[in-house]
Amino acid sequence: MSNVLRPYLAAVRSTLTAALTLENFSSQIVERHNKPEVEARGSKEVLLNPLTISRNENERVLIEPSVNSIRLSIKIKQADEIERILCHQFTRFMMQRAESFIVLRRKPVQGYDISFLITNTHSETMLKHKIVDFIIQFMEEVDKEISEMKLSLNARARIVAESYLTAFNA
Amino acid sequence: MAGGRLEHDVPCRFSHPLSATTELDSPKSGKYTPSVHCPAIPDHHHPKYRFAGNSDPSFVFPTAIATRGSPSQTSRAPAIPAKPGHLASKRGVEDLDFFIGDEALANAKTPGYGVHYPIRHGMIDNWDYMERFWEQTIFKYLRAEPEDHYFLLTEPPLNPPENREQTAEIFFESFNIKGLYIAVQAVLALAASWSSSRVTDRTLTGTVIDSGDGVTHVIPCAEGYVIGSAIKHIPIAGRDISQFVLNLMRERGEMAHVPPEDQLKVASKVKENYSYVCQDIVREFRKYDEEPLKYFERYEGEHSVTGRKYGVDVGYERFLAPEIFFNPEIFSSDFLTPLPEIVDDVIQQSPIDVRRGLYKNIVLSGGSTMFQHFGNRLKRDLKQLVDRRLDASVLAAGSALKSSGVEVDVISHKRQRYAVWFGGSLLASLPEFYTSCHTKAQYDEIGPSICRRYQIFGSAT
Amino acid sequence: MILLEPHNYIIQTTLAEKLVKPSSLDVQFVDFDGVRFHLSTPERKTALLLSMHIRCWDELVKYGAMDILKREYGSLVAPQVEQEYNVSLEIDLDQVPTDPEAREAFVMSVAMFKRNALAAPFERGFKTQKELEASGGSQGEWMQVHYRDEEAIYVQASPDRVTVIFSTVFREETDRIFGKVFLQEFVDARRQPSIQNAPQVLYSNRDPPLEIRHLPGLRNTEDIGYVTFVLSPRHFANPSTASVTVSHIQLFRDYLHYHIKCSKAYMHSRMRYRVSEFQKVLNRAKMEVATTERKTASGRTLVSR
Repeated sequence: MSNVLRPYLAAVRSTLTAALTLENFSSQIVERHNKPEVEARGSKEVLLNPLTISRNENERVLIEPSVNSIRLSIKIKQADEIERILCHQFTRFMMQRAESFIVLRRKPVQGYDISFLITNTHSETMLKHKIVDFIIQFMEEVDKEISEMKLSLNARARIVAESYLTAFNA
Repeated sequence: MAGGRLEHDVPCRFSHPLSATTELDSPKSGKYTPSVHCPAIPDHHHPKYRFAGNSDPSFVFPTAIATRGSPSQTSRAPAIPAKPGHLASKRGVEDLDFFIGDEALANAKTPGYGVHYPIRHGMIDNWDYMERFWEQTIFKYLRAEPEDHYFLLTEPPLNPPENREQTAEIFFESFNIKGLYIAVQAVLALAASWSSSRVTDRTLTGTVIDSGDGVTHVIPCAEGYVIGSAIKHIPIAGRDISQFVLNLMRERGEMAHVPPEDQLKVASKVKENYSYVCQDIVREFRKYDEEPLKYFERYEGEHSVTGRKYGVDVGYERFLAPEIFFNPEIFSSDFLTPLPEIVDDVIQQSPIDVRRGLYKNIVLSGGSTMFQHFGNRLKRDLKQLVDRRLDASVLAAGSALKSSGVEVDVISHKRQRYAVWFGGSLLASLPEFYTSCHTKAQYDEIGPSICRRYQIFGSAT
Repeated sequence: MILLEPHNYIIQTTLAEKLVKPSSLDVQFVDFDGVRFHLSTPERKTALLLSMHIRCWDELVKYGAMDILKREYGSLVAPQVEQEYNVSLEIDLDQVPTDPEAREAFVMSVAMFKRNALAAPFERGFKTQKELEASGGSQGEWMQVHYRDEEAIYVQASPDRVTVIFSTVFREETDRIFGKVFLQEFVDARRQPSIQNAPQVLYSNRDPPLEIRHLPGLRNTEDIGYVTFVLSPRHFANPSTASVTVSHIQLFRDYLHYHIKCSKAYMHSRMRYRVSEFQKVLNRAKMEVATTERKTASGRTLVSR
């Protein structure tokens, strides 16, 4: 982990840990409803102040806490067109499998690449610090994975081009 | 335009190799639409590939893939990205170094290669291998630019919708195909029976008996939809018949001259070439004993390695082999229900309003239903069961009212062996095929979940 | 499989099979670039009729495709073309050479049916270059082959080279970006000492190269790319190199798109691996829930989902 990345992830980690204080909370508007308030946005008083942690203009995290749920959205670094498309493919691939990821949202919040929605049920049935670990590890590895994918694409392209052109010598 | 199809089979207790069917249909010129079709059939783990509208598959090969890497590696660990982040995986195109189908099996012994079967029990279990399997099928064997074609794939009944989504993801995202239709194998087998001259109305209601190498399924379909709750599996199929023939011939001492490694092959040849279903075993035995010269056949073989010739007499196994469907107790001690009873059970478990349709249209599919007179015998036995029950209920009711009877009919046809594939070919050549497909544009708009919707077509009703 | 093969696998296997065991047959199949084939036995089991439909047939005939097919197949080329197709071959299985090697060569040459038809503009280009070189002429005409709906090959001979330009369309954003990466590598690859003899490659995205800008029917949208190959005389110095070059260059577009698709498949398998790794990390967060078997009053077991 580079030195620049560390404080950024540390900030996300501590903010997220602090924000993960969720409790069961029934809807104040509809009887017998119990929805993530951060999504339902029914009553203002249960929403807390959203917070953005920014590493630079291309990489940031938005944390939106509420009484029974928290939404975390990540903007992943995309240096060029290739990284943009690879990032898009990767996040879409993952969101397609949101079912098995439990805390993953099927659609990102606008302006971000991927969003997670953690509700009080999740924080009750899963270990809180491990959820945080998962998010942090995801952030760490997704950048690495995308740049590796880009490298491997370039390497493939080179081999493919060379194999084609070498065949002319035959 | 093209259709491709992939079929997976239902999981069952016997390990049953997979199948993938793909069929591509071809481009857009005016009135005439040729098609590519690459189906794989559940039988003998041989996928069959070819173009829609054709009568025979262009390719039939096992869904096997030989890749570099440890052969013992289980399907769990994907070979390619096993170590992402290491230089080796960045550097190369190792993932292009593989063989599929018969070539995969031929390369099984080449050092460095290992053979894998991406489909297990009829379900795709390794998507990485399957994606590459399709890749080579399309580009090397079918030589079709997937962007120009529609694909028809097949799936077994009760295939989880997630599998359809993953399949759609591969076909639309990796291959950019024009359109995709995922058909249920049993429904295609019903469609294939339309080729029989005895079928007058093109209905998609009927009972499909699909018997391949590993397992036999009895699947009821009502108007193009499978009645999932009533499906039954029978653990007796082609492999068991071959084994049974082998046992019989060993007991008679015929196999003494046959090299051990060839024995199973001889048994399956005998099964394929000499067997038939008789109407009455006792009479058949008597016939053979009276005139053995007339009924015994001689099979001549050649040792695959040394070329030495040998011959065996083929006797009672000619009619005993397929008899294990009707009297399973002669072969197995743990499965004892005859096929006609299973079929009757399946239909009785289906909704009452479709039962007549199910009895009237029993369709055979797969290599192990190819025995001569198989259909007649099944029909006779089933009819007896049904009539007996009707008589019993008349007796129990004690009234003078009598049922008008239930029509029982079993359809055999020429396309039985590759019925699923042929049904796919037939459907893909209909003009409605293209309108029933999920198109690339729909996929881009909605995502893989479009494949959860299943649209039937082709039925006259 | 890195390189695509020039012959059609279905023709090869079917023909080899029918030579051993003739039987009646009626199949249709395709090849790259929208080529359709129909292989049938209209009269008897040993007389096969192989018909081919190519989108750009008229153009190919203009550039001498018929001469090439006559040269390759001689009397096999049927005088009567099957309806809806452009050209037919009549293959009498009894007339095929029996010697295994000659037989294999024959099967292979039939499997190259499409390759041979599509060779016409290239062979003419090579010939024109020789003539121009001898006569000191300026430049040959641009031969255009619209072999796909939106894509074409342009071939022109000059006194010292033959220029081949492909236009190719990327239907999807991902393909377009991957395609760009690949084509850039084609341009750069020649810096390698081992492949300096390869033809020079130029690539432009969107705008057609200057040489062909005057031709009608060109598009300059974001999803189109133009690739120029400059073949120098050494690439077609003798008939065997020329034939390798032709087989190779006509599959360029398919080769490119094949590899774009393979890369996407590779990315998919990487992503599958990575996603399953993430899944494992998340699963560590799950608490071990002690599950006791619950039963209903009648003794049936409940299965938790």
